[in-house]
Order: sequence, then structure tokens, then C-alpha cells
Amino acid sequence: MLQVDAEWIGERAAPRATEIEKGAIRQFALALGESDPVYFDEEIARRAGYRSLPAPPTFPATLPSNPVPGLKLPRAGLIHGEQQFVYGAPICAGDVIRVSAWLENVKVRRGSRGIMSIVTIAREGVNQEDVMVFQARSVLIANEGEI
Amino acid sequence: MWQVGDKVGPWAHTITREQLVRYAGASGDFNPIHYDDERAREFGLPGVIAHGMLNMGLAARYLKSAAPPGARFERYAVRFRSMVQPGQTVTISGEVKSVDYGSSGAQALIDVTVGVAGAEAAVTGQAVLSWPAGGEESPGT
Repeated sequence: MLQVDAEWIGERAAPRATEIEKGAIRQFALALGESDPVYFDEEIARRAGYRSLPAPPTFPATLPSNPVPGLKLPRAGLIHGEQQFVYGAPICAGDVIRVSAWLENVKVRRGSRGIMSIVTIAREGVNQEDVMVFQARSVLIANEGEI
Repeated sequence: MWQVGDKVGPWAHTITREQLVRYAGASGDFNPIHYDDERAREFGLPGVIAHGMLNMGLAARYLKSAAPPGARFERYAVRFRSMVQPGQTVTISGEVKSVDYGSSGAQALIDVTVGVAGAEAAVTGQAVLSWPAGGEESPGT
């Protein structure tokens, strides 16, 4: 059961900083089966105009944020319905990215399959120069059982 | 260079159990529905399923491999519509919906689909990629 209180909409979790390691970018690119050397070879990344290895487009989803105030998500049984990214400056190895997260919306729907809670979580990352690197929105659906 | 109406792909990609384990490790998403069949079945699934974010990431990888030199993602949004199980082959494809040219380069809006044979598309969405004029210049900072 999802525990969420609509009163918390808009409340931000304290930003959480993560240093981007070369190994993390390489492992992530490998997991996707990437063969583009820009993700593996720093020299090639520099020649392509990056400070160091750049992060693949969906990498920001792996950056941790602090728990969203007022929201308790079950560990499993949650459906990822939608995912959106808007990109700012590139994320490169060596950057320190501060990610804040907040509850953007909560909806409860009654459908043929019972009651569903639909939660939208927004996240934003800024780098060590305070420049936006990504904005993300995740829509999560929890089936709350029969009507 | 991309033109309106261009088809991107298709690419066939077989999702393996090994890839789910690698993605779990690399992303830090250790939800058991992606590696433990028994736990997955407890949640009403047929067995382990691929991370939605793995499917989204794969589509980005193939899309970028076909993009003009120096291209980067500006926006990327998808809807996860059905699940993909290990052993299934997905078909990743795109279509260029619009291209805008500016003084410093161009950007294109691409419809993206991750399809599964005989089932509803697993992922549908749109990506906006931009690239510098004249090809292989700096992607900028």
C-alpha cells in the first residue's frame, strides 16, 4: 500500500550530492551494450569536447536523491508508468551532481482493476557550478487493490 | 542528416537475463522483480521483467548511434506500456517528425518505439536531439 499525503505536494527533499565516477559511467554504458568509445576512453571524450567521460542520456535516473517528504513507496509492486528527461549541461565524470526531489502530483483513480494511486515525482540535478544538468519526472503507479 | 519522415532503425535486440543483472548492478535498481522469478511471481508477474529504464536506455543508445555527428539529447520522454521478459527480442525504431535549423545547428523531434513481436509496444515516446552545424564540432558545455 502506498502511503502518500497530498499535503506534501511541492515539498523538496534536501539535495543529495554524488560524485560521478568514470567507473560508474563505464559500467552503465556496458550494461546497455554501448560500444561508443566516448563513454570508455577519456581521450576520445575530450576530443569530442567533454571534460571527461560523458554520462549516457538515461544515466541521471541512477543518481540517488533523499527520500521525498511525505511519501513512502513500496519496494516492489510499483509500476513505472512514464519517464521524462530535460537535459541541461552535460554530466561528465568528476562532476559533483546535487539532486533534489519533490512530489509533484498525486492522483487516485478508480478503474476496472480497482483503485490505483498515480504519483509524479520530479527531480532536478545541478552540477558543482550550480548549472542545471537534468530535470526528470517519473510517474509511478501503485495498484491499491479491489474497490 | 535527418529529414522529416526518415525512419530510424529498426534494430532488433534480445534482452538477456545477464543484461538485467548488469543493469541492476550499474543502475543500483535491485528491485527483486528484475532478478528473482519467485518474487516476481508473488507480484503477479510471469517471471522477472526488464527494467523500464533499461528499455528506455537501449532505445537512446540505438537512436544516438544513428544521429548526426555531435548530436546530444535535449529532451527524452517515454511511456512504459507493457513488460519485456528476458529471452524476448525487442525492435527499436524511430521516425523523424520535425527538423528545425538554426544558425548554430539543428534539432529534430523523433518518435521512438520499443516493440515486442505479437504484443503491444513496450515503450513509446519522443526524443529531441540537437547537433551542431557543419557536423563534427564540440557538443558544447
